[in-house]
Amino acid sequence: MMKDLLELTTHCIRCGFCLEACPTFVTTGNEMESPRGRIYLVRSALEGRVEWQEDVRPHLDHCLGCRACETACPSGVEYGTILELARDKVEQDKPQFTKLTLLNSTTKPSALRAQLALGNLLPGKRMPGFISKVLSGHSAEADLPTPQKADTLPPLNLANLTPIRGQVYLLEGCAMRVLYPRVHEATRRLLRRVGYEVLDVEQGCCGALHAHNGYVDNAKRLATELLLSMPKEIPVIVNSAGCGSTMKDYENLLPDTAGAPKMAKRTFDASEFLFNNGLQDVLQTANGIAVRATYHDACHLAHGQKITSQPRALLEAIPHLDLVPLPEADMCCGSAGIYNVLQPQMARSLVERKYANIASTLANVVATGNPGCHSWIAQASKEHGQSVLVLHTLELLEAAFIGLEHFGN
Amino acid sequence: MSFSDADLARKLEALLGPEAVLSGSAAGRAYDCDSYTVEKNNPAAVVLPRTTEEVAKVVRWCYQNNVPFTARGAGTGLSGGALPAMGGVIISTKKMAKILDIDLPNRCLLAQTGIANKKISDAVKEKGLYFAPDPSSQSVSTIGGNIGENSGGPHTLKYGVTVQHILGITMVDPTGEILKLGGKIEGAPGYDFIGLIVGSEGTLGIVTEAWVKLNVLPKTVSTALIAYRTIADATKTVADIIAQGTIPAALEMMDRGILRAVNMAFGFEYPANTEAMLLIECDGEPDQVAREMEAVQQVCQRNKAIEIRVAEDEVERARLWVVRKKGIGAMGRIAPSIVTHDGVIPRSKLPEMLEFVYDVSFRYSIGVANIFHAGDGNLHPCFYFNDRDPNQVQRVVEAGEEIIRRCIELGGSVSGEHGIGVEKIDLMPLMFSPADLELQALSKRIFNDGMLCNPCKVLPNQKGCVEYKKHWKGAAC
Repeated sequence: MMKDLLELTTHCIRCGFCLEACPTFVTTGNEMESPRGRIYLVRSALEGRVEWQEDVRPHLDHCLGCRACETACPSGVEYGTILELARDKVEQDKPQFTKLTLLNSTTKPSALRAQLALGNLLPGKRMPGFISKVLSGHSAEADLPTPQKADTLPPLNLANLTPIRGQVYLLEGCAMRVLYPRVHEATRRLLRRVGYEVLDVEQGCCGALHAHNGYVDNAKRLATELLLSMPKEIPVIVNSAGCGSTMKDYENLLPDTAGAPKMAKRTFDASEFLFNNGLQDVLQTANGIAVRATYHDACHLAHGQKITSQPRALLEAIPHLDLVPLPEADMCCGSAGIYNVLQPQMARSLVERKYANIASTLANVVATGNPGCHSWIAQASKEHGQSVLVLHTLELLEAAFIGLEHFGN
Repeated sequence: MSFSDADLARKLEALLGPEAVLSGSAAGRAYDCDSYTVEKNNPAAVVLPRTTEEVAKVVRWCYQNNVPFTARGAGTGLSGGALPAMGGVIISTKKMAKILDIDLPNRCLLAQTGIANKKISDAVKEKGLYFAPDPSSQSVSTIGGNIGENSGGPHTLKYGVTVQHILGITMVDPTGEILKLGGKIEGAPGYDFIGLIVGSEGTLGIVTEAWVKLNVLPKTVSTALIAYRTIADATKTVADIIAQGTIPAALEMMDRGILRAVNMAFGFEYPANTEAMLLIECDGEPDQVAREMEAVQQVCQRNKAIEIRVAEDEVERARLWVVRKKGIGAMGRIAPSIVTHDGVIPRSKLPEMLEFVYDVSFRYSIGVANIFHAGDGNLHPCFYFNDRDPNQVQRVVEAGEEIIRRCIELGGSVSGEHGIGVEKIDLMPLMFSPADLELQALSKRIFNDGMLCNPCKVLPNQKGCVEYKKHWKGAAC
């Protein structure tokens, strides 16, 4: 049984402790754009006091789904689940076909490749304006991302590596494998450095983007397929925070599937797994990098998976690297899956705030653990004159061994 | 008022621009109550002004057009202070959250009143300063709301409540005039209008900016958590500590109901058979803190403490405070709704009062948990219930009234820090004579001769409220 939406909403006692944690509330000051307000509106719609489409939907649409409110909430309200179920309700009652098309094309690697190739033929680099207009009524803000080149790192030096002690699966992801092949390469090398090799399998999308955007049934189908493609009971390593967060919650997404709870337990964010397996000690043998770096918490790592200390501890273990704290590090950058396409204005205002915070640290490199944040903050950096190099945490960690010169944009 | 809600929203949009006005059924619902959820009423519209001048524009318009208005900060109040009792306009300060000036040599700071309390301390932490009043909601509650309610907090015991930390204010009076009261220095001659405005629950105008005092962060802080097998042992400890002359920075108590919630919320562990815990903090110069802590622990041991845990480092200390400050919030783990009272009693009466609270809870069959400022004798019995059951709501209201009556009988007060709002308005005559209340009404008339500025709050039996009261009284769901 999926959880009951009305029951979930009654856990909110309206204390308001979530308010200052919510990026959309902090930006707008509007109670309806706060977790407390949204929960109240959802509950009121379920009780027939307000209309789903007219009164509640716009505010669900504006939510980033960052779940910072869950970290702040003393009552343990499962806001992420409330949001997914409520979005599913409004989306299934009145589907937005453009949104579904966008979701489907982003989560199918072949379709995404074709779309990006096509995009390169068009003038300008932005998302096609008509999609943005249809979805949000506003002009596009997000550039079409430029995929990283594959196979650019030098061969891994096998001398002095610890013997292989086990196998793991690596979630290749839908967008991740198209956009960030170099991150996957770095992940494989780091895993090998702590004694694990990747067992390659044919695999699809994890369903996270669908689950977050009101297509729970599609998400379930994708999740079931992914489960079947990774039958061995070995760890599943994920380097995309949004995917990891959903996979750790497969138990709730697929309550009737036998393998789901086990899958949830054997899913690890790459930084978490590498930390648990002593990468910080291996890093002591690396040449290191003399840079000033800072770390941005991807929402689905910090709030979705409560992983904040492991990536920082790993980065701190890089010889000669100076890790400086980032103000508002765990505040959403506005990328939020496909949010920066759906809600370009709010996404823009949040990334500007994020970039200003990053600039204030005077860091040369910012590391983060999610492809959405990666490309969105990288775009901001480019717009601001490319003063800060944006890397996935795993790229920066691998750079500690082979040098930063392999990781230019 | 002769406008339809839609008309009214359009007029306000003409004043402030469309992006600063919220209206429609979702807005009405979202702003129909604060954290006191037992009584609700929809506003016709909500405005989010950015400056004092914009607030004045809206208030002037409301005054000229006879439209009621109610100020709202974060909406974390516990007595319905931000309830739009007669509908009308909610004036939210949440787009006014800037720090405007910091005067380090004179240790004060000027902020717009929509800023969250804790943001002030965060802004000056590196300079070794902080803003002392620390209501448990300080991570979200606004300085404007703190001024309205004259908020306290755990450290009130040693450092005083909000009024002791406000130097000057800019406010918009109920006719829309901008007033500046006080300034950057303390103790100006003449009548103390700041003392009157702070704690007036937004009924005398809307405070838009404030100069607040900054304190120097103490050199040493020591925090201990003490477990007891009985409530009586804990309350006796509190009375003894105060009686022997030690004034800790904070002296807080939590009972089993709260401990259960914070255990579920934060995995907070405590010894088996614990019925009550005290959180005691001493701060100041290192040797003085050591001396005070020693004295405190002796009293605890004399009163049969079963465990004394002193926080070893800043991380553990912060963790203990999270448990205390988010304790009431964690009650959502146990039930869908809570109502928390804040009656005050002389500290020597704590043991018998707590017994009375449990007895009331038993008689009305409504669960209660206690988490409160024991050192101040400021109770927080937190009733937990289901607000969709009208019968339970009724029992919660009656149980609360019985507790407040007892507080007054014991020589205490109806409210220590949450304000009167609409929640305790009918209990005011228990504490004040008709002549007292008339004098208060007279003071209100200095600023406000009409019924538009946060109507139907604080003073009972205001004309025109009876009819409206039907809308919100007991409108829990």
